[in-house]
Order: sequence, then C-alpha cells, then structure tokens
Amino acid sequence: MVVNPQQEELRELVLTRTGGGVDAGAPIRQTSLWRDAWYRYRANRAAVIAGGLFLLLVVYVVFAPILSPYDPYAVDFSQAYQPISWSHPLGTDQYGRDLFTRTALGGRISIGIGFAATIAITGIGILYGSISGFVGGRLDNGMMRFLDALYGLPYLPFAIIVTQLFQTVNFWVMVIALTIASWFTAARVVRGQIISLKENDYVRAARAVGARWYRILGRHLLPNTLGVLIVFVFLELPGVILGEAFLSFIGLGINPPKASWGSLAQDGRDVYLAHPTMILIPSVAIAWLILCAFFIADGLRDALDPRTRET
Amino acid sequence: MTTFVIRRLLWTIPVLLLVILFTFLMMRQIKGNPFRKTDRAVPAAIQANLDRKFHLDEPWYVQYADYVKGVFSLDLGPSLVLRNQSVNDIVKSHFPVSLELGAYAFLFAIVAGVPLGMLAALRANKLSDYLAMLVANVGFAVPSFLVATLLIYYFAVKWNVGLPTSGWRSWDSKILPSIALGFFPMAYFARLVRGTMLETLQQDYVRTAKAKGLRRRRVVGLHVLRNSLIPVATAAGPLLGAVITGSFIIETIFAIPGIGRYYVSSVSARDYSVTMGLTILYAVIVIVGNLVVDILYGFLDPRTREART
Repeated sequence: MVVNPQQEELRELVLTRTGGGVDAGAPIRQTSLWRDAWYRYRANRAAVIAGGLFLLLVVYVVFAPILSPYDPYAVDFSQAYQPISWSHPLGTDQYGRDLFTRTALGGRISIGIGFAATIAITGIGILYGSISGFVGGRLDNGMMRFLDALYGLPYLPFAIIVTQLFQTVNFWVMVIALTIASWFTAARVVRGQIISLKENDYVRAARAVGARWYRILGRHLLPNTLGVLIVFVFLELPGVILGEAFLSFIGLGINPPKASWGSLAQDGRDVYLAHPTMILIPSVAIAWLILCAFFIADGLRDALDPRTRET
Repeated sequence: MTTFVIRRLLWTIPVLLLVILFTFLMMRQIKGNPFRKTDRAVPAAIQANLDRKFHLDEPWYVQYADYVKGVFSLDLGPSLVLRNQSVNDIVKSHFPVSLELGAYAFLFAIVAGVPLGMLAALRANKLSDYLAMLVANVGFAVPSFLVATLLIYYFAVKWNVGLPTSGWRSWDSKILPSIALGFFPMAYFARLVRGTMLETLQQDYVRTAKAKGLRRRRVVGLHVLRNSLIPVATAAGPLLGAVITGSFIIETIFAIPGIGRYYVSSVSARDYSVTMGLTILYAVIVIVGNLVVDILYGFLDPRTREART
C-alpha cells in the first residue's frame, strides 16, 4: 500500500481528535448543536450563576403571591410602613400592604411586559428583516432607508405618545408602546444575518437544486439566525424593562392599585427619607434582573455564536 | 468627503418629514383630542368657526403641510392649556436648562467613564479591572431614579455636605443631577473603552511600537487611546436617547425646570400642541445627534464613508 505522508498525517490528526488510538474505528459519540452550546454555556461561570439567580427571581415572582397569606390589595392603615420583619420580609407600604407579596406581583408585570415586548420586537424584526434581507435590491434599500428614518424617533417620548392612543394604560398597552418604539434594531440584526448567510455555499446549492424561496428561508436561513436572536432577546430585555420602569415611575405607565417595579419605586420615592427600603427594593429587583439578563446574554453568545465573541 | 457630508445633510430632510408625519398622525388619533368634534356640545356655527380658525376644515395633508411649514419656520404653535404661552415660549425658557444638564451629564460621563475603562483595560483581569467593571456593571443596571435618590440621600441628607437637592440656579445645585443623569452613560463608556482598548492592544502596530522601544505611556497615549476612542464618538449618538429618557426622571426628582418635566406634565394635562412640539424637538435632537456622529465617524474612519451615505 502506497502511503502518502500527508494522508497519514491527516489520519493521525483525525484519530487524535476523536479520541483515537485506543478504540479507533468505534463510532464517535454524537453531539448535537444544542448539547455543544450547553457545554460552552456551562463553562462560563458568571453566566451559570446569572442563570440560577434569574430562575430564582422567576420562581419568587410566580410563587410568592400564591403562597403569601396577605391580600396584596387590602388596605390596612394600622399596618402602614411596617419595618422588615419575619412576618413582613420586605416590610409594608403606605397602605399596610405586604411588600414581599406586592414586589412579586410587580415583578410578574415587569418581567411579563419585558418578555412579551421583547418577543414581539423579535417577531416584527424577523418579519421585516428577513423580507428586506432576502429580497434585497431596491426593496431592501427602501426598507432600510425607512428604518434609518425611524431611528430619528426618540424612544421614550414616542412610547408615551403610543400609550396615549388608548383609554387606559394597562399591561398590553405598555407592551404595544414599548414594541412600537423599539423594534428597529431587531429588524437590522435579522437583515444583517440573512444577508451574510445568503452568500453561503449551502444556500447556493439549495438554490441550484431548485429549492423554492420559502424552503431556503425557512430551512436554511432562519434556523441559522436562531442563535443570534436568542442572544438578542436577552440583550434587548434590559432596555424594555427599564423603559417600563421609567414610564411607570413618572406616572404614565401601570396605574395603581396594580403594581410594577416602576410604580412601586414611585410609591417609595415620596417617602425615601423615612422609609428608604421602599424605593430600594424594586430598584434592586430591576438591577438584579438586568444584570442577570446581561450575563446570560454574554454566556449565550459564547455558546450559540462563538464567532461574534465580544472582547 | 464633501459629497458625503452634503448627501448626509440632505438625507436628514426626508427623515425629519417622515418623523413629523408619524408624530402628526399619531397625535390626531389620540382620544379626547380637542381637535375632534365629538367631545363637546358646541353649536354648529361655532364649531365651523373653530374649524376654520384652526384650519380643521382642511384635509389632513394640508394640515400636515401647514404644521411642517410651522416647524421649518421655527413656530410650533400655541399651548392649549397654558394661556398666552406658545410652545416656542416653553422651549425658549426651558430648553437651555435641559441642554445644560445634558451637557454636564455627558461631561461627567466622559471624564469619569473613559479613565475607568482605560484603567480596566490596562490592568485586565486584575483587582482594579474587576472593581472598575463592578462599578460599570452596577451603573449599567441600576435605574437612574435609584441613583438620584441615593445621591440625595447620602450627599444631601445623611452626610450633610450641603448640596442643594432641587432647582437649577447656583452651580452647586447642578452637581447631583448631572452625576445622576451621567451615571448610565459613564458606565456605558467605561465598558466600551475597556472592550475597544483590549482589542487595540492586540494590534500589530501596538506591538511594533512596543518593540521599537517606545515608552508605555507613549504607546498608550499615541497609538492605543486614539484608536480606541472612535467607538466612543459613535456611541454618543444612541446615548443621546438615553440622556433624553433619563432627563424626564432626573428633572422630576430634582425639580429642575427643564423641558423633560414639561413634557411629562403636558402629557398628563393633555396639552397636545406642547406634547407634539416637544416630541418633534426631541426627534430633531436625535436626528442632529446621529448626523453629527455619522459625519464625525466619516472623518475619523474614512473606510465608512461609502457605507453611510
């Protein structure tokens, strides 16, 4: 047998890479994209801790109101401004309502608005960005110019105007307002992804064998943007959560007696001298969530999209 | 370069028209709008007169054209709630305050954020890096109303340094609000400078500069810092939005007579012409900010001129 030295070298390389030598020839243990991603995510300690803290917060927000013995809306002035104690782990507010329960309720609304708006933003971004990037040419140019123009709209003032289109401001109005005011970046991200993926050989090959456009888009392009989009969701979340908090804090968002972290902070704002914990608690909750989202996004980027790693 | 600047300048005109159109159409849809006929029981003749006076008998595109004319001749119309005050009056007397606040906040952000980021990058993965990034990450995540409240609580109440906590007259009343508003951009700059500097430190020309024996101070000052500051210039555009957003909160907390506070109160008071005029003013600020950043970027990094026209 004539052995080409280069071939031999390659064989050796493959063997060592696959744990070769010992049981060379045995089938390699299969690993999927997601399992790979999970391994890489687990290697990032900060991301793992952030993920755990995030889950903890979600568990608190979901279960505290169910398990709590207090009615979060019942007014009892004899219990107003109770300090932190065993029966009230976070104290009570000006109406004597238990803040441990109300902070969890506020968290449901804040986190709910955050995720609902971020998912809506991503959905619109996928629709707009994939049309623009996939069709290309004049339409792409026009759609991108339109987006450029929308970047001239100031974020919060625009969101405020959208809320004013409705009779009252509730959960879904906030979602709509924050979505309309900030979907532009998602569209740009998706378009950029589609355009760079479009040039890949496997897309050309698919086209060459006669795949229809919806198959190319649905089978080859969009699944490959998934990793970037999952990262994007966690990068976008802080902005939306803060936007909601700001609107509720200045009194143009969620209305009492309903609570969000922003409106709880507004309650605390008036009495920060005597009862500083009332503004501190919702603010810490917001910061907690944002920092978690931030480190999770970092870990997900390493895990799902190692090429675009930030330094 | 000149064609780039001219094309970029001309491009702002359709952007502005489109932004005004959006704002205009949305304001028309707002419920309880005084320009809608259904709300009050007014005799038909008076309603017709009112319509004529405010050009409401015209189709919407004529009204839009009128409003655009007003904006371009710097006339934003009368306030509907504050008597004898035009939107222009409000802008004239309160916008300078907001502008000053924003400028100081940016100044604080750069003066504190850039060195913090440099420190972190030059001592990467050491204690000072971790501390600097801790400050930056906290500043990134903590909402500005907490920053403002904590500043007031500690500097004005607890330690009693004697700094005023409201108003905008003496120089010392401007310190706390500027820091509170500049805290988020500061954190943003610090993180950005750290990232770009770490990247620049890996470049070949930096290695060359080190290899030929330049002093560290000179390498950092001449080669690293200059190239790391380009992204800082471009980040200023998006941060402008953050500063506007923050000014709503900060002006409310510190009782500063800027337009952010007016904006919020105009929305609650349903003073539509003020809300609309100020929204367009904010849009102009954002558009001009993006314009300046794009042109600046074109100067700093010639490669991008083509792509950004």
